[in-house]
Amino acid sequence: MAHKTYKWLTILTGILGTIGVASVIYRLIAGMKITWLSSSVPWGMWVALYIYFIGLSAGSFLFSTLIYVFGQKELEKAGRLALLSAVLALVAGLFFVWIDLGHPFRIINIAFHWNSSSVLAWEILFYVFYITCVFAELWFLMRCDLAYMRDQSHGFKKKVYKLLALGWQCPTTIGSFRACHSQSLRVTAILGAIGVPLAIGVHGGTGAIFAVVKARPYWYSPIFPIIFLVSALVSGAGLMTFLYAFLGDKKAPDHHRIVLKLSQWLMLFLGVDVLLMITELLVGIYGSIPDHIAVWNQIMFGEYWYVFWIGQMGLTVLTPILFFVLKKGSTFWMGMGGLAVATGIISVRFNLVIPAFVTPPIPHLDEVMNHIRLSFEYFPSPMEWISSIGIIALVVFFFLQAYKFLPVFEHYKPHLMQGTIQAKEVNYEA
Amino acid sequence: MGKKLKGVPSGEHSPGMEERRAFLKKFVSTVFAGVLAPAILNAAPEEQAQSVQQVLPEIPEPEPGEGMENPVFQMMRDLRRALQKPLEERRWIMVIDLRKCVGCNACTVACIAENRLPPGVVYRPVIEEEIGEYPNVTRRFIPRPCMHCEHPPCTPVCPVKATYQRADGIVVVDYDRCIGCRYCLTACPYNARTFDFGEFYTEDRGIHSLMPYEQVPTGEYNKVHERTRNESPVGNARKCHFCVHRIERGLLPQCVVTCIGRATYFGDRNDPHSLVSQLIARPNIMQLKEELGTHPKVYYLI
Ligand code: SF4
Ligand code: SF4
Repeated sequence: MAHKTYKWLTILTGILGTIGVASVIYRLIAGMKITWLSSSVPWGMWVALYIYFIGLSAGSFLFSTLIYVFGQKELEKAGRLALLSAVLALVAGLFFVWIDLGHPFRIINIAFHWNSSSVLAWEILFYVFYITCVFAELWFLMRCDLAYMRDQSHGFKKKVYKLLALGWQCPTTIGSFRACHSQSLRVTAILGAIGVPLAIGVHGGTGAIFAVVKARPYWYSPIFPIIFLVSALVSGAGLMTFLYAFLGDKKAPDHHRIVLKLSQWLMLFLGVDVLLMITELLVGIYGSIPDHIAVWNQIMFGEYWYVFWIGQMGLTVLTPILFFVLKKGSTFWMGMGGLAVATGIISVRFNLVIPAFVTPPIPHLDEVMNHIRLSFEYFPSPMEWISSIGIIALVVFFFLQAYKFLPVFEHYKPHLMQGTIQAKEVNYEA
Repeated sequence: MGKKLKGVPSGEHSPGMEERRAFLKKFVSTVFAGVLAPAILNAAPEEQAQSVQQVLPEIPEPEPGEGMENPVFQMMRDLRRALQKPLEERRWIMVIDLRKCVGCNACTVACIAENRLPPGVVYRPVIEEEIGEYPNVTRRFIPRPCMHCEHPPCTPVCPVKATYQRADGIVVVDYDRCIGCRYCLTACPYNARTFDFGEFYTEDRGIHSLMPYEQVPTGEYNKVHERTRNESPVGNARKCHFCVHRIERGLLPQCVVTCIGRATYFGDRNDPHSLVSQLIARPNIMQLKEELGTHPKVYYLI
């Protein structure tokens, strides 16, 4: 990324992120009143973004396992990037669900009064194991670089790297470095293998939060968690394509090949995702159960039709396919296709959550629930928008910092020269 | 005096002026005993037990052969009989006679007053339906409290066990534990749960200081909860609890005593002699969304 772009992006996301932090503090003081949620539409923008980020995380992570567990070696360069996105996206997702709680500071109750029959409680458990696993993987992959950076830097930076390196020492000979590297890969493969069921649990399980609710016919379907999973893979692959196309080393001879490969995976996942969506839609329409039909009607022809047609169909499905088919030669356009997917999926998330609430579960109930807090209509409030944009900016900000200061791409490769270690020049500013 | 009351008031049996006044006094004290509840709630447990004894009104005994007893008295007697049994042997149910409901919303309002519900929180809305077309039109009114499902879909989903079914079948919410995730709201097939967003009546109208009536603490679940900006029950899931705080004092739920059409009945299903047990044995009984397997404990006579 050009230095200038990087600088401006950092400033922009920094400012927006600060606004985000302020709005979250305001939310904690003022309570849930600042949202336009109601008792009839109890989950809105924040929950949609929660599942969006959890999906992005699980998708990126599963993607990384293609490399470390399933041996797609040619993608290895994007591996750490995938894991880093997995960590940040998970933190973002959890943050969104946290600020959505009526009593955010009681979150610890989940540990003390854990309810084994609640999918949500299980999910929290999954998130904890999952994030530990991803962190561990990332550490093993980066430990030599971190130790090296610690030894090379001074002052505050040194302290941070020291903390991150956890006392790891650089291997001093080629032999020990190789041994160390292959150990890292072995451990990563094992952690990745453990991570696969965890990630499936993380996002399939997030889908199950909805799928077990028999009160909502739109959600209550065994295919729902699968749709979650596949769309997670879609968003993960989209994000990877975008990030690698723009952040990867463009001069490297295999840059185009890797972006193309990433795009191909994206197309595959997207195809399966569309297939599942069509299945859901057709079966729903064929069954003609009024509540089910009403939801699809709302999605496709209701007030927010554009979320489906423009966001879901246009941005998430057609754009990347068009770019892929027409511009296979250009990493820029394939990267843009990835971006379209990674952002377009947000509309998919909105349409997974909110339309389920539009039909009153008992006919005519909407006519007597007159107060705004009982309404069956929902549109995010200004504060919901501001805080959401702010938090997303904050995540991008942290990503940019990690990208700059952490060894996201390069590998520390010592050459033994007259008994001293010389690392390959690493340009972390890229 | 006031020993009996016809199911339907009739001229011939109207008691004398004096009797009538005495009866009304008794009746009013029965109905509004709940008003005293907060005073009791603030007292120590031993004192509570004592004061409960003091406020419990005496139920007039029916006299044999004097026609139908007032169902309120019968239900109160059923209730106190049930209270003699251990908790797990009671099964509270509600029966709502839709042909008697006139859609006055008195129960909705009484519930709001009893539980000090803020704007946007409602436990018992009355659904209004118009059936047919002019000139053949009728209206149907369906009060919809929490069904206190025998197999409630709302409780297993709670991540912190804040909402659960008590031994007597009443589904309750522990305000102090609930984290306000609203999962239970999505899981209830009857939309019977509402979330307390922290709205106030006076604030809504641009008045900055809260009126005293908004500051009266709620006595739900026998606990005192001052409702301030971020404290429970603000930020919690809230729902009908069959007025547990009243039941345990030997009083009927507020909606039952307020109903002007005598459309709502309450009692113990495990007691074959209770009024409700007789009512649910009728052929015109039904429940909402039975097909979901929730086994609601609110029945409708249609
Ligand atoms: S009616 Fe709803 S809130 Fe009440 S017990 Fe049943 S599922 Fe739970
Ligand atoms: S809102 Fe409260 S009672 Fe309902 S599921 Fe969440 S924690 Fe449990």
